[in-house]
Amino acid sequence: MQSLATSSIEGTLLSLSAVAILLAAFACLGSKLFNRYVAYYGFQSVVLSFATAVVAYHFRSAELWVLAGLTLAIKGVAIPTVTRRLVIRRLDLRRDVALSTGLSTSLIIGALLSAFAYLAIKTQDLPHGLVATSVVPISIAVVLLGALAMAVHRHTLAQLIGWLITENGVILAAITLAATFPFIVEAGIFLDLVAAVLMMVVFVSGITRELARATSAELRQLQG
Amino acid sequence: MAVALQVLQSLVVVALAPLYVGAMARAEAIVSSKRGPSVLQPYYDLAKLLRKGAAVSDQASWVYQGAPFVVFACYLTVSVIVPIITSQPLPLAFLADLIGGAFVLALASFTMALAALDTASPYGGLGASRATWIGSLAEPALIIVFFTVGVLSASDNPYLMNHAVAASPYALVLPTHVLGTVAFFMLVLVENGRIPVENPAGSIEISMIEEGRVLEYSGRHYALMRWASWMKLFLMSAIFMNVFVIPWGLGGAHSLAGGLIAIPVLLGKLAICGLLIVVIDTSFAKLRFFRIAELLGAAFLLALVGVITSYVIVV
Repeated sequence: MQSLATSSIEGTLLSLSAVAILLAAFACLGSKLFNRYVAYYGFQSVVLSFATAVVAYHFRSAELWVLAGLTLAIKGVAIPTVTRRLVIRRLDLRRDVALSTGLSTSLIIGALLSAFAYLAIKTQDLPHGLVATSVVPISIAVVLLGALAMAVHRHTLAQLIGWLITENGVILAAITLAATFPFIVEAGIFLDLVAAVLMMVVFVSGITRELARATSAELRQLQG
Repeated sequence: MAVALQVLQSLVVVALAPLYVGAMARAEAIVSSKRGPSVLQPYYDLAKLLRKGAAVSDQASWVYQGAPFVVFACYLTVSVIVPIITSQPLPLAFLADLIGGAFVLALASFTMALAALDTASPYGGLGASRATWIGSLAEPALIIVFFTVGVLSASDNPYLMNHAVAASPYALVLPTHVLGTVAFFMLVLVENGRIPVENPAGSIEISMIEEGRVLEYSGRHYALMRWASWMKLFLMSAIFMNVFVIPWGLGGAHSLAGGLIAIPVLLGKLAICGLLIVVIDTSFAKLRFFRIAELLGAAFLLALVGVITSYVIVV
């Protein structure tokens, strides 16, 4: 399998999409509104699906086209829509206050993590014949940023978005390391299934939160 | 010939900076369904102010009196060292590279802050303190932005940067360059007090930043200060277009005709940049003061990610 030259059109598109994905992860980390988390995640997934389509076009791989379509449909459209309709609007979530550090601190840690990704994955030491060697560190940085988002946020929904970002990073790494693995298609769908399970957890936690709020209001009435 | 071009370049900056600002004010008025002042209004303002005498507080020292000249000279110096109408270095371009240019800009800002403090007017001190705070956050971002172009051209000379980008149009779509460009545009807005940071048309003393520093000035001193700030906007827009966005259409160092043709081309490029600034001016609101740090943090982060992704080029 020949690799994608950095200076070809496909290579440029791939690295630009990778940077857009990285920036979307940073945007998620630097935001405080639940609506924005979901919007940035949706944008990131659309870009990821575009990147997958670029690789699929270059290698004429049907499986990757399927993966691109699935990514667009499930992660780009379905998950953001469902989250917005069923969780954010129903529970009236607006501002995320459950953060363990300030925004600037988490952004600085994020910048350090992406620098660490470049130090850890020395692109010149990677084996030859990968799809796009230069994108691998970016995907690792996205994985780390997703993990950071999970660590910084305390709200379940925000943690879920962090987890989904990590998963996007894994998919990006997969398509840039080895484009022809049919396993990737399965893995992508599988991880999406796990995401669906986590969504259920969010619903449950949301309902619990609703009940808790109702109880406290009633208590206040009693005191009144 | 090169000397003539050198003089021409500085003349272009000095003479056309008011036109640029006037055109932007007019365009802004048209976008918000108003007629707006004439494009030449800044020239009338300058002529009026230069005819008037200056009222100087009896508490003011020589710092206050000398500051307008120093500030004007600083921007004049910058106009000598950056590519405005030629893509080849002119005789005086050896004076400083881009980081040196940033130092000269910082010197102008420092002088303005000193002059603002000199008369002990409360608004002057307020403006100086705010502008210095913003400047201290903008400077690291600016230097990192220069690094993003620097990794492409392996230099921090604006002419070599221009050549490196012009030589391979492919460089324009490299992530490093795109991120650096966006970050530099944000810094152009911040450094010139445009809308996400400050309302250039507003005259409420309590929210002033750039204007607050020159609030005490009047007459010809004020004219120089205004002119200098217009030159700053003109210069930074020209650097943005000539080094980052459209590095073509500049003349050589040895033909006057090339330099003369480059002037209308430059005006065309500035029209694009000005339109972009006008759109942002009319469609965004001013940020709360302490949110400016987040804007500058974003610019810093964009530039930093740009430098990090420069490994893409090496491979």
